[in-house]
Amino acid sequence: MTAHGNINLVPLVDILTSIVFFSLLTYTGATLAALTAFDLSLPPTVVSAPSAVRNDQKLLNLLLAVRIDADKLQVEHSEGMRQQIAGLGPQSMDQLEALMKQVRARYPQNADVLVVPTDEVSYDDVIHVLERLKLVGYRGISLGTRARGEALIPAARLTAAGGAR
Amino acid sequence: MSRAREARAARRAAQFAKFRITELNLIPLVDTFVSIVFFALTTSTVGELTPIVSGISLPESRVGAVAHQQLTLGITNTSVRLGDHVIMGIGQAASAQSTIPNQPLVIPQLYTALKATADSIRKEKKLRPDQSVETPLAIQGDKALRYNLMSRMIQTARYAGFRTLSLQVTRTEGGAPSGTGN
Repeated sequence: MTAHGNINLVPLVDILTSIVFFSLLTYTGATLAALTAFDLSLPPTVVSAPSAVRNDQKLLNLLLAVRIDADKLQVEHSEGMRQQIAGLGPQSMDQLEALMKQVRARYPQNADVLVVPTDEVSYDDVIHVLERLKLVGYRGISLGTRARGEALIPAARLTAAGGAR
Repeated sequence: MSRAREARAARRAAQFAKFRITELNLIPLVDTFVSIVFFALTTSTVGELTPIVSGISLPESRVGAVAHQQLTLGITNTSVRLGDHVIMGIGQAASAQSTIPNQPLVIPQLYTALKATADSIRKEKKLRPDQSVETPLAIQGDKALRYNLMSRMIQTARYAGFRTLSLQVTRTEGGAPSGTGN
């Protein structure tokens, strides 16, 4: 308070000026957003296709795969199940989630699944499938790639990290 | 009371008068607290935010791990960027032919850039030249990308020595899980 009983705003203005100055100084121009991540842990060395398939067969007690085609999803596992879901829209994703919940309930010991998108599938659709699998509770999600003229190669393994479990 | 005692008391009062606190100026204290609150609120929000490569439209997801600011490979509709540097055009990347035997998916120009980055990390961390790098590489890909190009990027990063990749997407809170309208 000053002698006349007014509030002295000068120090406050000084500090706010400093804040604005340093904010402008540190502005990088980058857009910031709240992001989430699907972490991929890759094998340390590049392996050939046949040995990669053999290693994964040893690791997984149930071979469960979700294939993503341009117009359909296909879920299959080593116990003989094979089911197709038409489309890649929200309803198809809901069906996939429900189906994967059933599989998860039937084989609770298995938390691994291999996702194999075809070349023409959009990255957006792949992320939606990964999202649904994470929601169901699959922690070990491998992202496969179909090499030109070769068998399926599990290329990247999604680790069970953070809130995605 | 004698006159001498009164004089002594007056002198003592005069000595201590200069130490008397007449008023406590709280304004600087309040200003400092305002600054602290401002920065606390700002950093608590910004701490959850990660830079997005400009010109990119990321897919959305409700789940996933926390995304950290790290070395980022940005794949937009027009270019491929590593950090702030444009490595190549997207058409160039899509049509690039691998020159490495038994690695048909590797994109040579991107491989060179990623290998140089991985080598500098190896040198800094004193790792062997053939050792995989633990430093994570974040990939921000446009949602319109086709998976064949994305898989080539992943394979190239893997072959360059990056062991940990992170697909960064926009986090959505609550609501129905996202899905395309196809």
